[in-house]
Amino acid sequence: MKDKIKWKKRDTIGWLVMVPTLILFAFFVWEPLIENIRLSLHSAVGYEIKEFVGFENYIKVLNNPTFIKAFKNTFSYTLWSLAIGFIVPIILGILISETVHLKGFFRTGIYFPNIVPGLATVWIWSYFFIPGKTGVLNIMLSKIGIDAQAWLTNPKWTIPLIILTMTWKGAGATALIYMANISGISPDLYEAATVDGAGIWKRIRHITIPSIAGIGKTMMILQIISVFQIMYEPMVMTNGGPNGASVSLMMLMYQYAFRDFNFPAAAALSVMICIILVILSGLYMKLTKSSEE
Amino acid sequence: MSKRDLGKKHNKFFGKYEDKKDGVIRGFDVHSTKVKILCIIIMILCLSFVVVSVFPILWVFLASFKDIKEFTREVSIIPKSFDLSKLQESWNALKFQRYYINSFISVGGSVICAVIFNGLLAYGFAVLRPKGYKIAYGLVMWSLLIPATTSIVAVFRNINLVGLNGTFVPLWLAFGANAFYVVIFKEFFQEIPKEILEAAKLDGAGVLKVFSTIMIPLSKPIIMVVVIFAITAAWSDFLLPYLVLNGSGKETVMVKLFSFKDTPTDAVSVLRATLFAIIPPTVLFALFQKQITDGATAGAVKG
Repeated sequence: MKDKIKWKKRDTIGWLVMVPTLILFAFFVWEPLIENIRLSLHSAVGYEIKEFVGFENYIKVLNNPTFIKAFKNTFSYTLWSLAIGFIVPIILGILISETVHLKGFFRTGIYFPNIVPGLATVWIWSYFFIPGKTGVLNIMLSKIGIDAQAWLTNPKWTIPLIILTMTWKGAGATALIYMANISGISPDLYEAATVDGAGIWKRIRHITIPSIAGIGKTMMILQIISVFQIMYEPMVMTNGGPNGASVSLMMLMYQYAFRDFNFPAAAALSVMICIILVILSGLYMKLTKSSEE
Repeated sequence: MSKRDLGKKHNKFFGKYEDKKDGVIRGFDVHSTKVKILCIIIMILCLSFVVVSVFPILWVFLASFKDIKEFTREVSIIPKSFDLSKLQESWNALKFQRYYINSFISVGGSVICAVIFNGLLAYGFAVLRPKGYKIAYGLVMWSLLIPATTSIVAVFRNINLVGLNGTFVPLWLAFGANAFYVVIFKEFFQEIPKEILEAAKLDGAGVLKVFSTIMIPLSKPIIMVVVIFAITAAWSDFLLPYLVLNGSGKETVMVKLFSFKDTPTDAVSVLRATLFAIIPPTVLFALFQKQITDGATAGAVKG
């Protein structure tokens, strides 16, 4: 009991070991979070805080017509990423798990895009999506007799195509995580199901899918959190166009900060984004908890 | 003759399925034609996934050999000639050697910081566990959920306040505060048997000595994972480097690639710059394929 309360020398040493890193966390993560909130409630010249203005910055941001667009687009990005980006790795993972030949080759192959830096990825796909005859995808379409498409310049396609680009880069890495989980499923389960007369589809439906549901939920929330912050992809590929069809919340934040140098407005917007993300994470935790009970 | 030979022929391909002890399709399924066809379809699909994954990267290599006229006029994938001097020309014109050196400096420092700082913190969380460490641990875990880019404005402000703008230092140190790496290290450190550490302590080794002579050598595999993560992340990082380094003469490859969006540049130069940007990670991947693909799943341990 006594040494539970007593502060020992090794506690001091322990903290001394941890303090340098904690200072870095404070400098790069925690203080900026609080600073953002403070900045968002003040007016400022450059970085210098002038006076308290309450929620004025927030109201200004909310009344910006681009905000509504960016807000809708960001949700559209998220929905498309759930439709495309979430499903593709699961399919990849299940199918590659079922191969016995060239498995290592498949694993390496689908992971390859993941090591391509994000910026390089968006530049590469910008060339694939060139709307004229010389766009890579249009060259390939012309070989099978299909007319050149507008790709990113068609506002209806812009967001799904950007999501497709992100999926190309990320799906392989996520698929490997699913594969690791699938290989951990006990073979007995499948054998038992087979004895009960379950065909291949039924085994996937009733054994494989439920077994990866847990990791799937985690991957989903991680994906929502990351896609919600989509920024440089539309910035480089479309510059938010055509006509604002692909502008995202984070891109708007960047514009406030580093194009208009309106730091308080940028801070207000990022606080709002943070709140949405925290709500999403909270919702997720609640959902998983209630489904476990 | 045919029936037996056909059977044999199939065995070459499907024989291996007989030994398949995991997954949905099992050895005993492969006797029906339907399942055999399914196996072939799956193979073809997986091959096409690899083609889709690899082709765009391959295309960059091919298209970099086109000159601007060929690139904008010719409807073709394969270039007319493979002339390395064209790449050399762009390399010199874009001054890429300088960007490479800057990137290497930035990546090197970032990797060292990522291992030392996050490793030390995880050492505290997993082994030393001083009183009250749970508060710090909670805060670190909590910052896993808060995306870093949302507070980029305030981070940049801090960097300006301490006068480190235009230097590599903030980029290095930023890698020292990564909750994800801390978690990876902590999970691993917890598995190290307590007895080894206790024995060292009895021998009179100090806390830091235990860390450097026991923890680090025992943790080589996990350090490798973090090093590879940090190399790819630092090489690809551009937002903070752009804000901190642009215009300072210390621009990295990614800063250059990012700044193309504001400066009109001909397509072929951008394409070749993209090629230069993906060569180092590709080489790294070629050398450490196994560690990298294994590391991809190790990172998800925490789920």
